[in-house]
Amino acid sequence: MDPGVRLMERVAARDVGAFEALYDGYHRLVFGIGLRMLGAPALAEDLTQTVFMKIWTAPEAFRGGSFVGWVSRVARNRALDVLRSKAVHPESEIPADLPLEGALDDDVFSRLDAQRVRDALSTLPPEQRALIELGFFGGVTHQELARRTDTPLGTVKTRIRSGLRRMREALGERVSR
Amino acid sequence: MNEPVNRDEMMESVALYALGVLPREEAALIAAFIANDLEARREYLDLRAAADAIAHSADEPVDSATSSRMKERLMARVRSAASGETARSRAQAAYPAWIWGMGLATAAAVVFSVVTVAQDVNLRGNLATAQRRIQVLAAQNSQIERVAAQDRRTLTDLLAPDAKRYEVAAGTVVVRRDRIYFAFSKLPAPPKGHVYQAWTAPKGSTTVAPSVTFAPNADGVAVVALPVDATRVGAVAVSVEPEGGSKAPTTTPTFIKPLT
Repeated sequence: MDPGVRLMERVAARDVGAFEALYDGYHRLVFGIGLRMLGAPALAEDLTQTVFMKIWTAPEAFRGGSFVGWVSRVARNRALDVLRSKAVHPESEIPADLPLEGALDDDVFSRLDAQRVRDALSTLPPEQRALIELGFFGGVTHQELARRTDTPLGTVKTRIRSGLRRMREALGERVSR
Repeated sequence: MNEPVNRDEMMESVALYALGVLPREEAALIAAFIANDLEARREYLDLRAAADAIAHSADEPVDSATSSRMKERLMARVRSAASGETARSRAQAAYPAWIWGMGLATAAAVVFSVVTVAQDVNLRGNLATAQRRIQVLAAQNSQIERVAAQDRRTLTDLLAPDAKRYEVAAGTVVVRRDRIYFAFSKLPAPPKGHVYQAWTAPKGSTTVAPSVTFAPNADGVAVVALPVDATRVGAVAVSVEPEGGSKAPTTTPTFIKPLT
């Protein structure tokens, strides 16, 4: 089981020590998402504070599943809020938030780490990888992806779909070895 | 906006939804499609796992100075909040709420008088302007956050594995906890001057109460959250009504669905 799940149970019981352990275990991930989406360390730092304070003040928002998947989505959604409030891009270019529940509850995926994911990403053709990474961390819609990469919209859709499928296969193979 | 128009294109957009690159309106459309289509749901769950895994690639070492500073700042706030919670729960056990109300009012009055005395007229003018600006920005920000939070909850509920789904004409009724949604993907446009209206019947009753009115978009998609407590509702229905809605159904309902 994702160790974050057990720690969250203790955080819900107002255990400061468990919260500190949670921070130690996951702040790099939250900060990293913030940095890649917002582009500035100061903004990533604020985002990390906001996400972890939210975890402390409203632990009931986590309703099970994989903690790492959930906290990644919370961090990404929060970064999208920042992009909206700062009007870094027009509202129409910023995508909808990701739903928070039921994410990444597959036991296989709970054993992933950054290196495995980077290895899996490296197996994708560069044009698929670029769109998927820019899509996840860029905080922009698929139309904006097409515009920025000067790629037809239909090709963007096909590349993202094929890339995610390859990614799923690559991760499945790697973790089941 | 380039909205998907047929099933193949909708299926292609499932990957975009999983990766989180669809604008709000299109995301709601695909969420409704996924809620209504088994193959789409399977594809979504599969690709979402891959999309979620991508977040891991951002997990990189943070320089130790930043890491320590963030931790120090955060833990100070958490310890302060935790001690406040403990003190509050002790105090609330010892004093009735009205005493706290009086104490807060007194404290606010003291703060207000100190601030008032300390400022000259010019500064007060600047401060008032700045405060108004802050209030406007704060209101805008909280409005954005409220809308985003509502969208998140709706999408989460529509896709939740533990939601109950009832097939109806042109879509699905989705019930999760105390919330009810209609997710239509092929709803014909109502006649001119008319809208669709939702109706709810309390458990154990056949009398219906009027609920929200709505209309689908050009693709026949409508996602509607009913403002009722689902735990008290025994059945839902939809009928075509004049714009503005009716107090009781005036046409034969397009469906009546008991929520068993």
